Amino acid sequence: MIELKNVSKYFRTKHGKKYILKDMTLTLPSKHNIGILGRNGTGKSTIMRMLGQIEFPDRGSIMSDKSFSWPLGLSGGFVGNMTGKANVKFVCRLYGKSEEEIDKTIRFVKEFSELDDYFDMPIKTYSSGMKSRLSFGLSLSFDFDYLLIDETLSVGDAKFRKKSKKALMKKIETCNVLLVSHDMGTLRDICDVGIVVHNGKIRYFEDINKAINEYIAINKQ
Amino acid sequence: MKKRNSFKIFLSVQNALFLRELSMRFSSGRMGIFWTFFEPFFQILVFVLIKMVLFSRGEGDFDFAVFLALNFTAFNMFKNIVIKSIASFKANKALFLYKQVKPIDTVFARALVELFITAIIILIFIFLGLYFDFDMEVKDLTMVSLGFIVLMIFSFAFGLFLAVLNVFLDSISKLIGFFMTALMFTSAVFYSVEALPLELQNILHYNPVANFLEMIHGFYFFKLDDSFVSYEYILLWTLSLLYIGLWLYTKLEKRIISS
Repeated sequence: MIELKNVSKYFRTKHGKKYILKDMTLTLPSKHNIGILGRNGTGKSTIMRMLGQIEFPDRGSIMSDKSFSWPLGLSGGFVGNMTGKANVKFVCRLYGKSEEEIDKTIRFVKEFSELDDYFDMPIKTYSSGMKSRLSFGLSLSFDFDYLLIDETLSVGDAKFRKKSKKALMKKIETCNVLLVSHDMGTLRDICDVGIVVHNGKIRYFEDINKAINEYIAINKQ
Repeated sequence: MKKRNSFKIFLSVQNALFLRELSMRFSSGRMGIFWTFFEPFFQILVFVLIKMVLFSRGEGDFDFAVFLALNFTAFNMFKNIVIKSIASFKANKALFLYKQVKPIDTVFARALVELFITAIIILIFIFLGLYFDFDMEVKDLTMVSLGFIVLMIFSFAFGLFLAVLNVFLDSISKLIGFFMTALMFTSAVFYSVEALPLELQNILHYNPVANFLEMIHGFYFFKLDDSFVSYEYILLWTLSLLYIGLWLYTKLEKRIISS
């Protein structure tokens, strides 16, 4: 369960405050895979990061007793001058894994991400697709309550996309996702409920198809 | 995911950050490891030469090289903790994606790395001192260590304070180099305050770092004492900086994370 209480979030721009959320109160029930929809620039990613508690509302509070992954997106969240392997080690240590578990994770991520020689090269030599492959593979080795996924499923070649989708389908048997995507097919496959972000409000839909219809209606305005 | 208590989380975050900082310091191909350990020797060499040429080595009260080694170790520890802390929020921004990494953790980890390096440098000095048979006898080891420990806390507090300011005032990281050079000349690093004229001594009283260094070498050498040092003044600086630094940090933590 994720509870939002009187949440406001804005960015200061030259033209005054631009609200992403305005005095929003909402409860998102547990055990659902939640799709986040909205037009470009409405703040989907920011809202996802707020739900995952790495960004904070300007007013109000967001509460949850669940654990969240780091946002799996194109930026990756890695340190550029360290190798892929060193970054994997670093994240494992952050989450308190033992050396034995770290070795296991390294083997798994190396195989899953198909980075081969690049795995031992600095992250700054990676393309954004390679970064998100590493990030996604790494996230599979942790047991979060929620995975935060920001468009990453659309990277890589067709073969890797298929593989990561399959891995994710298996993963969500034991955990849930918050998914930001513009791909309606992916949203339908993975999510069962949805929220639509529009004009500083979030609307919650118990059926992802209804959320998609709402999103399409907004786009026609 | 298994719930861990906050102390355990803190420990694993420190472990991860510490090892990361170390490997970054020493794997960078810019001879990082060489300069880290060579710098203090170079400083000592320069000042020993200056003293030999300008003042002809006559005093013989205590060993000037040992005096310099002690002072530069303490001053470099202070300088490096502060300088590394200032940049740590910006350098580690990517890591705030991980919820358990708080900005202050990165300052703490960098301070730990500096302590680790300082410890290695001290060991090298002791080893070289024994090998070349310098007179390294300590008057009061407990008070010297206490001086180092309080200076450590002072440096961390000062570094944290400046790191928070640096998020909002860019110029701090640019000015700190000048500031540190000025401090080096006014902090009794390569002289003892009692060798100065009285008017200068009165001005240096206001420099907390000079107080720290006078305390440290005052308790190290039999020929020197701590009569210059005001302990109230040292504590006032340390506690106020710690309080203001932590207060500012807690007020601004969320803005630092999303800045």
